[in-house]
Amino acid sequence: MRSRRLAIVTVALVLAGLFASAASAQSTLETVKKRGKLIAGVKTDFPPFGTVDAAGKNVGFDVDVAHRFAKALFDDEQQVELVAVTSGNRIPFLQSGKIDIIIATVTITDERRQVVEFSEPYFMSGSLLLVPKASSARSLDDMAGKTVAVVQGAIQDRDVEQLQPKATRVKFGKVSEAVLAVKGGRADAYVHDDIVILSLVKENPDLKAVGTPFMPRPYGIAVRKGDLEFIKWVNDQLARMKQDGTYERLWKKYFADVEGNLVKP
Amino acid sequence: MTGGPAAYAFEWSAVWRGLPYLLQGAGLTVLISGVAMVLAAALGLALAVATQTAGRLVRGLVDAYVELFRNTPLLIQIFIVYFGLPQLGLRLSPFLSGLGALVLYAAAYNAEIFRAGLEAVPKGQHEAALSGGLSPAQALRFVIVPQAVRIAFPALGNNLVSLLKNSSLVSTIGMVELMFVANDISFNNFRTFEIYGAAALVYVILVLALTRLLRVAETRTARPA
Repeated sequence: MRSRRLAIVTVALVLAGLFASAASAQSTLETVKKRGKLIAGVKTDFPPFGTVDAAGKNVGFDVDVAHRFAKALFDDEQQVELVAVTSGNRIPFLQSGKIDIIIATVTITDERRQVVEFSEPYFMSGSLLLVPKASSARSLDDMAGKTVAVVQGAIQDRDVEQLQPKATRVKFGKVSEAVLAVKGGRADAYVHDDIVILSLVKENPDLKAVGTPFMPRPYGIAVRKGDLEFIKWVNDQLARMKQDGTYERLWKKYFADVEGNLVKP
Repeated sequence: MTGGPAAYAFEWSAVWRGLPYLLQGAGLTVLISGVAMVLAAALGLALAVATQTAGRLVRGLVDAYVELFRNTPLLIQIFIVYFGLPQLGLRLSPFLSGLGALVLYAAAYNAEIFRAGLEAVPKGQHEAALSGGLSPAQALRFVIVPQAVRIAFPALGNNLVSLLKNSSLVSTIGMVELMFVANDISFNNFRTFEIYGAAALVYVILVLALTRLLRVAETRTARPA
């Protein structure tokens, strides 16, 4: 009897703690400045936005943006902690306070707008198919009755469901797993953002990209819902990056060879 | 203007809407872990008996298997079976890949549990059975193994509970079980706390049911024949 009462009290205390910590949250920009570093969620399996190089260093367009933000905040681009996120866990990471900001190829959708604040668009992406070199598939239309890999939490999960309801979707947690699924014949195609598919083709000569980019939508940087001060700061930084040529430089650095396939926001 | 993040507002209706899908996932969790439990218990017992009766070579092979599968993460085993084997030309279905990895992993533990059980049966039992006119095989089948199973039962039960919870790892290979469904729902509606909380509750219910089942089975095996 006594142990049961103890268990109930413990659960109640834990719940109370949850509510308390949620209520005591304060302005992110203030917290970041006080802490002395920015904690940013970036991808690690999404070329050319966020990957890890052979030396274990985070590299990519989004990673450069994170460093640029650190420089603006602390005049030192190293004052940023990069946390690896996936399409599935990035918004929960933000909501739970593990990260201050998501700079990780988040497509802006109305659904997501209800739970985070988005910056102005900084990239436009459609979707393409990644298939084995020998595949005869030319577009999503050819995927009726086939197996299509998508990443859990990515918008293509919904897109494929709507555009090709006759396909069987198989969902993975990471880009790398979806690629392995195509290589191992587990899926006939993998559908994701055009830019990542084009980059994956460069690294995997046994695969090819097919289709014309469909459902183009913008990427935004995301901060916690209601944090208008911080999102305004982010937008100011993005505007400044466009004015001073940083954006153009990053664009050339990462997208020069596939530029013809991209829509500039 | 402070512009601080809003406090988390709980929305339990998200659980209600997701419940049919969650229960569908729980169905697959029960199926895959249920089948895995039976196979892993049988395989574990067979291996343990083999180490006690067969020659040194078999014992060595079983030892190698046990050490290999106990000392590597289950997730790696699942990935090797699902992603690795197709590159060597063996493509099992996602269900069989997940099931195979779960069985091999759990059976390695079960083999050790049953071996300890077999070794705990007093030597006199074996001698008494033989002098009573039973053949060595009969002695094993009717005297030694039943006692060993009874001794091993509590440890076996713990391992089966672990197996049930470990089945959540097959979500990584696209198996639409409870963990996968929880991910799938919360990645789209972002009600992280509510959905994972509900999934955790379902796991608790499943484990409690399994524990009850095991207790009934234990009393049955403990009853003198």
